[in-house]
Amino acid sequence: MTRVVDVPNQFDDRTFDQFAKGMEGGGDRLLFDAHATHWASPYGLVGLLAAGQHATENGQQRPLLTVPADRDVAHYWGSAGFFEQASDWFELHGKVPRVSPSHSSDVLLPITPVRGSDDVHQVVERIQERSAAILSGELRLEATATMGFAMALSEACQNIVEHAGTSGWVAVQAYYWKRRLGRKVVVIAVADAGVGFRQTLAATQAARFGDRWNDATALEAALFQGASRFRDPGRGQGLAGITRYANRWEGKVSLRSGTARIAILPSWDDDEPLVDGLPAFPGSQVLIIIPAQHAQ
Amino acid sequence: MTTKRRINLKRVLEQAVSSLYGDLVTRPTGKAVRSEVVHMLADAEGETTVVIDFGLVGILDISCADEIVGKLLIDHGTARYYMLYGVSDAHCDSIEQVLERHRLAVVASDRDGRIQVLGPIADTARTAFRAIFDAGPTDPSELASQLSWTVDAARQALDELSTQRLVQVSADRYVAIKA
Repeated sequence: MTRVVDVPNQFDDRTFDQFAKGMEGGGDRLLFDAHATHWASPYGLVGLLAAGQHATENGQQRPLLTVPADRDVAHYWGSAGFFEQASDWFELHGKVPRVSPSHSSDVLLPITPVRGSDDVHQVVERIQERSAAILSGELRLEATATMGFAMALSEACQNIVEHAGTSGWVAVQAYYWKRRLGRKVVVIAVADAGVGFRQTLAATQAARFGDRWNDATALEAALFQGASRFRDPGRGQGLAGITRYANRWEGKVSLRSGTARIAILPSWDDDEPLVDGLPAFPGSQVLIIIPAQHAQ
Repeated sequence: MTTKRRINLKRVLEQAVSSLYGDLVTRPTGKAVRSEVVHMLADAEGETTVVIDFGLVGILDISCADEIVGKLLIDHGTARYYMLYGVSDAHCDSIEQVLERHRLAVVASDRDGRIQVLGPIADTARTAFRAIFDAGPTDPSELASQLSWTVDAARQALDELSTQRLVQVSADRYVAIKA
C-alpha cells in the first residue's frame, strides 16, 4: 500500500506540524505529494529530506516524491540544492529541473549534507565567502555579528554530528519578509532524522525529571540548562551560544524534536515559547532567524 | 626566571588538522589543536608565560573555545601562566561564555595591544589588574594607596588575581602578565 503525505502549499515552520501529522502511522510506502506546493522555506526543504531519510533508514521502501508542478517552484527547489540531495532518499516523479544549486544571491548556503566535522568546517568557510555582503550590507549587522553568525551556524551543525546518530542537512537563505516582519531576514535551517533530544539526553537527564521526562522537558533541559549527553562540564554550551547570539540581534531560535517545539522569541514573533503534543517527527529541527537591524 | 613561549594557533591548526582550514570550529578540531599545544609545552618550565596567538584565526566557535581555552586552563592552568593575544570581539564572545561556564579567567589582548581580563572576576580584581598593568608591579599597600582602598581590600583583589594566575608574584610584588 502507498500512503500519500501532502506537502503543504506553503511549506515552512508554520505548516510543518501539518506535514508531520501526515507522516504519522506506519507500514506503508509513503508518497510525498508536492505537486501543488507553491513555496517552501529552507526549514521545509531540509525537513522534507529528513522525512525521506527516516523512511528509507527505517527499512521502509524508498518513498516517492512528486516534484512541484510549477516550473518556477521546481527551479527554486533546484537552486536551493534540494534535488541534489533528494535523489538519494526519494524516488522522484515529475520534471526535475536541471539547475545548479546556489545561483541566487539570496541562497547563502544551498542545502548541504552534514555528516562529520569536515562538513562543518566547509560550511563555515562557504558561509563566510557568501554572507558577509548580505549580513553587513542588507541586514546592517556589525562585523562582529557576521562572525557570530558563522559561530551559530557551526554550533547548529555540530548538533547533528554530536547527537543525531545519523547525518542531516543545513541551508541558509536570506529573504525579504514583507508581510511577516517588513524586513529582510537571514534564516539558518538544520534538520536531521536522528534520535532526537529526548533519547540523546535520556542517559544523563531522564532520572532527574522522572515521570516528567518527555520531548518538551528534554528541549527545556537542552536550551535553558545546557544539558548534554556527555558528563564533561564543558559540553552543552552550543545552544546557549546560539541563543545569546540571537538575543543580541533580536533573532529567533526554534527547536523541534519528537512531539515538542521550544523557542526563544523576539518581540516581533508571536509563536508559542513551548508547544507539546505535536505530531511526532523524527530527529531534530533547528531554525534560527536573524532580522535586519532597521526597517527597510 | 620567567620565560615566554609564543604559540601561533593558525600554525598549530595547520599542523594538527589541515592547512585548508582557517577557522577554529568543532570539538574534534579543538581537541587536536589543544593536544598539539600541550605537546609543544611539554618542556616549558613552570613560570613560563604562554602567549597563545589568535591573530590569524578566523571564526572561533564555542566548542573549539571550550577545548582549547577552557580545557587548557582546567588541565594545565596551574602549571603555567597563559595570555591570549590577537583576539577579536567575536573570539572574546566565545571565550567569555566558556570561561563563565568554568568560572575561569584569562588575560587577553587584541591585535592593537589593548588588554582586558576575560571571565568572571570581581570588579575590584579587574580594577586592580588594570592598575598593575598600567603602573607596574605593586604590593597590597601600594595598590591600596594608589586606588584609595583599604589594604585588606587591595590584598583580596590581588589574591583573586593571583589565584586565577592573572598576575605573577615575585619577591612579594604582583606583576601583570604581558605579551
